[in-house]
Amino acid sequence: MAHRVVGKPIGRLDGIEKVSGEARYSGDVTLPGLVWGKTLRSPLPHARILRIDTSRAKALAGVLAVLTAQDLPNILVGRRMFDMPLLARDRVRFIGERVAAVAALDPDIAEEALALIDVEYEDLPAVFDPVEAIKVGAPVLHDDPGAYEGAPPERPHPNVQSVLRFKLGDVEAGFREADRVFEHTFRTQLAHQGYLEPHAGVVAIDEDGRVQVWASNKMPFRLKELLSLALQLPPAQIRVNLTPIGGDFGGKGSVMDLPLAYHLARATGRPVKMIMRYTEELMAGNPRHPAVITLRTGVDKDGRIVARRVRALFNSGAYAAFKPAPSVNLGGAGMGAGVYRIPHLLIESFCVYSNNIPCGHARSPGEPQMVFAGESHMDMIARELSLDPAELRRRNLLRDGDVLANGHHLEHVRAGDTLEAALKASNWSEPKGPWIGRGAAMTHRHIGVGFTNARVRLETDGTVTLSVALPDTGTGAHLVLRQVVAEVLGLPLDEVEIEVVTTDDFTTDSGVGGSRVTHTGGRAAYHAAENLREQIGAEAARLGAPATSLAAIAQAAARAGRTLEATHFYDAKAHGTVTSFTAQVAEVSVDPQTGQVTVRRFTTAHDVGTIINPIGHQGQIEGGFVQGLGYALMEEVKTEDGRISTLSLGDVKLPTIQDIPPLTTVILEDPVGPGPFNAKAIGEGSISAVAPAIANAVADACGARILDLPITAEKVYFALRAKAKAPAPSLKERRS
Amino acid sequence: MTRVIRLTVNGTSHDVEVPTYRTLLDCLRYDLGLTGSKEGCGVGVCGACTVLLDGKMISSCIALAVFADGRAVTTVEGLAEDERLHPVQQAFVDSGGFQCGICTPGQVVSAKALLDAIPNPSDAETREWMLGNLCRCTGYYKIIESIRAAAQRSRP
Repeated sequence: MAHRVVGKPIGRLDGIEKVSGEARYSGDVTLPGLVWGKTLRSPLPHARILRIDTSRAKALAGVLAVLTAQDLPNILVGRRMFDMPLLARDRVRFIGERVAAVAALDPDIAEEALALIDVEYEDLPAVFDPVEAIKVGAPVLHDDPGAYEGAPPERPHPNVQSVLRFKLGDVEAGFREADRVFEHTFRTQLAHQGYLEPHAGVVAIDEDGRVQVWASNKMPFRLKELLSLALQLPPAQIRVNLTPIGGDFGGKGSVMDLPLAYHLARATGRPVKMIMRYTEELMAGNPRHPAVITLRTGVDKDGRIVARRVRALFNSGAYAAFKPAPSVNLGGAGMGAGVYRIPHLLIESFCVYSNNIPCGHARSPGEPQMVFAGESHMDMIARELSLDPAELRRRNLLRDGDVLANGHHLEHVRAGDTLEAALKASNWSEPKGPWIGRGAAMTHRHIGVGFTNARVRLETDGTVTLSVALPDTGTGAHLVLRQVVAEVLGLPLDEVEIEVVTTDDFTTDSGVGGSRVTHTGGRAAYHAAENLREQIGAEAARLGAPATSLAAIAQAAARAGRTLEATHFYDAKAHGTVTSFTAQVAEVSVDPQTGQVTVRRFTTAHDVGTIINPIGHQGQIEGGFVQGLGYALMEEVKTEDGRISTLSLGDVKLPTIQDIPPLTTVILEDPVGPGPFNAKAIGEGSISAVAPAIANAVADACGARILDLPITAEKVYFALRAKAKAPAPSLKERRS
Repeated sequence: MTRVIRLTVNGTSHDVEVPTYRTLLDCLRYDLGLTGSKEGCGVGVCGACTVLLDGKMISSCIALAVFADGRAVTTVEGLAEDERLHPVQQAFVDSGGFQCGICTPGQVVSAKALLDAIPNPSDAETREWMLGNLCRCTGYYKIIESIRAAAQRSRP
């Protein structure tokens, strides 16, 4: 089907105010009488609070309020499991935990006041490693975690937050059919989402007693619910006002400092702004979980996988509060099955308490960890079987009618096509020079589900206004939604305006996240626009004479007291049978003297639906890829006994413009998605397979197999040295 | 301790009384209400706060306002002329050079300074010049494309 507006490479018309500096993010919001909030954070990973003396802070000129847990109701917050106090009460469980909050006339005075608060602590034994944390006798973080609201019932150890299982067939029986069995263990690092806008929010209590909130939060309606619980206020008393968000990547879905901003606003009678410093983001944001993942795979004599067992330990830190899924675990654990048909499968994922920073969701939650492990494991098996790693994948790829680990049946499976496209574009079989290697990796990502409201209205000037309560996180979704409405109504794009409304204007919306907005927002906008088109047709018919313009129709309707307007609530509850495959190939060189890895070129192939905006679509692929590149090679939030030692963004090593390699993108368009015009999703498709593609390329280039991320020159150097000294293979291989 | 300083910001002169510890960024954002410049890392690494001081790029989050006394500051708000976007700004819109936009004020200020210094930069020169501006959304490819497009468009 030929489209007029959909599929056109339209630039970011939705963000002209972003290039001019006019866009107002939540940190830019200002109100008369605004004061600043700051929090004092724990310097110890696990300790009892014996005494807090705030008298010197309260006496400082310009300080308006100092709060400790004693001043607040005994409320626990969370996104699903409610285990985190607003301010530590009696006990701190990680370095960076909030202990006191201050409001002052300016941020510098607030920080000075923090230094005047005296806290006396008594150290408690702490545990940092997830393997140690679930041993008998390990220090226990929470006395009765099962009693927390939202806590899953299964708890094999008091330091386990949650267990998530995926099961197909009978894994023990499956291993009995195996000719060879391989087992490898991988570790991934703690990683921050890396958005450049730290969490920011403003809370004001207006003259009607309503709580007005401006926040860098991607789920305004869930935020309203969570604040209603945290503040013990009826939801109707809270309004979330949407602002653009300066990068989300999964990290901006919690209440963060907003309940404290509210209590400071109550205590001072003034609007309160709280902006985390980036140092605070790094010590107390909600970063990507580090993981320890063991995969055990049995294959038959033809290299077909007959059974796999996966055990993942996610180091969740001191609180489970930042995980939004009902499982209080990471759905990405299911990617332990990779893109393969595995008749007998058992994946067990444990989220574990430790005295570290609490972790949360990050772009494609759990998947970069699991796909690094799974796809490295596949290459290691291929090497042992003397098979081309691409051939091992071919023999095991998902096909139509296969079932994913989560039980979903798949149709329109293009795993094989996607792999072949990536291999071809990357010259997979061409000869390579010395110390040059190629590595492949694959993944797939669901098309997001959720629910969205959209309203379209024909204005009397003939333009159409599309209203949504979806914040702009930067993906270009607002432009996509305008394109959908313009397409349905046969209008030029510039005659469809978008209006971002508040939580007062709709009843609900699942917000942004999980690769859902093109699908759910797009379908809501599509159906609302279809309804409006019918109304316009009916109104034109009522007019009798052929209408001259939309403006004339709207004006005629207005004269008759009618507004031409349609609202559609679209609710996609379950993932359908279609997914999106990704196949990537890295070509790297390794410096034999230093271990330095250089990505010479990178190929990313995607099985996608109808592309609504090619510029935005490609932007998602490129941005996700470079985040994957950083995760693979350089990024790490380092901890030493619970203390973050990389406290500046420079130390975390996000990729710079000098780090990006030549990128080849291959698009396999297959219009079978559930989104408008059969669109699929793309936001999380390019991140997860990058690290294993590079790890596999490094192994191909020099024989060094790096089992833990990131793949630094230092690790490769020592792996090369170890290989030179002891040529015996270090792989653990067993016959069953 | 406060001091009265004179800043010429985007061509307009301001006398501002600031505490001596106030950063130039906070002075722009909170004393003058120019919130286009952003604070990301707060330590001069990410470039979101980049402004031009007498035409040279600086990280305003680690410069004190009093150091800018008597000097000319250009911020993102000063790039457009008569409501018309600067060619760099227009190119970032057309080529998808931004997503969330939080780094964009710094990106376009740096890119403008680049084209002022090197009107037709090679990609290598662009990468070298723009090294101090982190972007977490775009992966930089479309930033390079945007600057290429802006250079072409600016060419007489």
